[in-house]
Amino acid sequence: MRTRMSALFDALLPVIATLAALAVGAVMLLILGVSPVTAYAALFDGAFGSFNAFAETLVKATPLLLVALGICISFRGDVINIGGEGQMIVGALLATWVGLTFTEVPGWLIVVFAMLAGFLGGAVWGGIPGLLKAYFNVNEILSTVMMNAIAVQLMNFLLRGPMIDPSQAQLASKIPQTARLLDEFHLARLAPTRLHAGALIAVGLAFVVYILLWRTTLGYRIRAVGQNPHASRYAGIKTARYMALALILSGAFAGLAGAVQVYGVNYRMITDGSASGFTGAAGFNGIVAALFGQLHPILSIPASILFGALLVGANSMQRAIQIPSALITALNGLVVVFVVSSEIWRRRRQRRRLAVAKEEETPGRPTPPEVQKEAAR
Amino acid sequence: MTTEMILVGLAGVLAAAAPVIFAVIGETISERAGVINLSMNGTILLSAMASFGVAVTTDNLLLGFLMGMFVGALVALVIAFGNITLRQSQVAIGFVLALICRDLSDFLGNPFVGQPGPRLPFAPIAGLADIPVIGTLFFRQDLMTYASYLFIILAWVFVYKTRPGLMLQGIGEKPAAAFVRGANVNRMRYFYTILGGAIIGLAGPTFSLSVKAGWKGTLSGLDGIGWIALAITIFGGWNPLRAAFGAYLFAFLQWLGLVLQPSLPGVPSQVLQVAPFPLMILTLLLVNIGNAEWVGRTLAALPEPTRRFIARGLRAMRASPPAALGVPFESE
Repeated sequence: MRTRMSALFDALLPVIATLAALAVGAVMLLILGVSPVTAYAALFDGAFGSFNAFAETLVKATPLLLVALGICISFRGDVINIGGEGQMIVGALLATWVGLTFTEVPGWLIVVFAMLAGFLGGAVWGGIPGLLKAYFNVNEILSTVMMNAIAVQLMNFLLRGPMIDPSQAQLASKIPQTARLLDEFHLARLAPTRLHAGALIAVGLAFVVYILLWRTTLGYRIRAVGQNPHASRYAGIKTARYMALALILSGAFAGLAGAVQVYGVNYRMITDGSASGFTGAAGFNGIVAALFGQLHPILSIPASILFGALLVGANSMQRAIQIPSALITALNGLVVVFVVSSEIWRRRRQRRRLAVAKEEETPGRPTPPEVQKEAAR
Repeated sequence: MTTEMILVGLAGVLAAAAPVIFAVIGETISERAGVINLSMNGTILLSAMASFGVAVTTDNLLLGFLMGMFVGALVALVIAFGNITLRQSQVAIGFVLALICRDLSDFLGNPFVGQPGPRLPFAPIAGLADIPVIGTLFFRQDLMTYASYLFIILAWVFVYKTRPGLMLQGIGEKPAAAFVRGANVNRMRYFYTILGGAIIGLAGPTFSLSVKAGWKGTLSGLDGIGWIALAITIFGGWNPLRAAFGAYLFAFLQWLGLVLQPSLPGVPSQVLQVAPFPLMILTLLLVNIGNAEWVGRTLAALPEPTRRFIARGLRAMRASPPAALGVPFESE
């Protein structure tokens, strides 16, 4: 009974953390002289208030889910991928190039190839830090962050130069954007809203990633290397290869998110000079959604919807009560902090419970030093 | 381009490197004690914003710099508390703090965007400034640049030549041994993390009150510098002198990019803007390559003189982190 209660508590912890973050946000709203009730009512209404609003929430949730799926793979392999932003951009660039170059090919074929191109672009961008980590022990947190910066400049260069919309190239304004994709290349709309087939692709892939991680040798090895690289090595697993693969796959899903964003929502690429101008910070928020979903692909689905709702709702809250947009980003940041720290807290409780169970098994014997080291980490 | 212009340009490089120097020295001290401060990118932005805000409102530069150190120390305190007391992952706490400090600087700094503010005046050192070449290069700077020279030397002497510095190395390398020698490991880690954080916090005001005076939000060009400083710390092999060399090299390459741009019309501006990032990945690669097992195996197959030559080169570049970096210490 006690274990079931604490399992329930663990599952609800992210929700509690979100509520706590919203409570802190309420204090900030009060300081600004805005009623938190009005503000949060506007937030909820904007995210779920109508059929259209809910569809918009799902549109925002789609790239989050795709990035989160990749994060599930890499974090399970104990590889930290902070490069989702860059991987999205490179995937989108490659997919856009496919759609703008092969205009004579039937639409459905282009969509398939574009999605594959996005997958490939992200895989390459995640693969570079992955190989560096696996074979040269280069810290992947730093290298993925730097790959983000490189991807942004690559995008700025391509959209101002080789890939610029020919009609913009003749104008004086020279807005850095590509030409619009042909109508038959767009991902199908699911309802008379902006909701597109990409959402279905993402949900379908969530099940694929679940099978990959828990029903295939590849997934088993990635998780084994993540849990204990030394033991995996002695078991004959080529640890470096699976570390690299974890980051390659993780990048590939982020790249796919970029491709889906172009073919389902924007129909072209446009840059304001920053990464989040294109990605909407999905590369970072996807990490949070994955952690929120306890690094489980299926649980990541509701987690992404929740964060999509927060993003859409925050926008309409801003329109409704005229508060500075920076408060919204700060509010999102608060949710991130609360969720991630609650996740860490949950893991710590879990370890302590395991340690207690172990001690009960072997009364009187001191815990071996290896276990202590594991528990401390 | 005259010699005088090049000299002035190089003097500018020394000034531009000053904030990065503070950041890498603070990080080096924190990591020497075994605690990674991954929040650096956010800390620098937040301290730049807060110190600019304080300096504008009070019209007092000193208060601005103190505010920067306070912000840096406060963020470091959160990391130390999370890691040492709560035993949480330094990477998770640090990364989340990096994001939230960045967002906070954007949000809280809104009223100060684009405002004119005070700026640290140039303070040529009488006598020294008139020495040819060296005077122009080193002694016609502002106070923070002089402070950056001083910090490099002080940090190096402290880490390698004093007893407390030896203890600092000990708590990062072998905390258990340091504990047996009578060090209160966790209290010292708290102290050095906060000290390192305060020094990192100096980087913010050195930007917003001197090198890139003013506050322009997160698009001010400061965003990203903290990540580069983290890479330079690794490049520096946790040695203040080598880390400072890395910071100067980085500032020099940036300056070179600006100077060369007009003479290379064929190269798009993005290439020079982006150059530091692949270079940093390359340096991380060079620093680590000597540690990879397969490199050793490949080298063994080469003829002896070649092998020895390459191995010596790799050893010179190699750097290993403090052994207990990122691992919480428990005394039992």
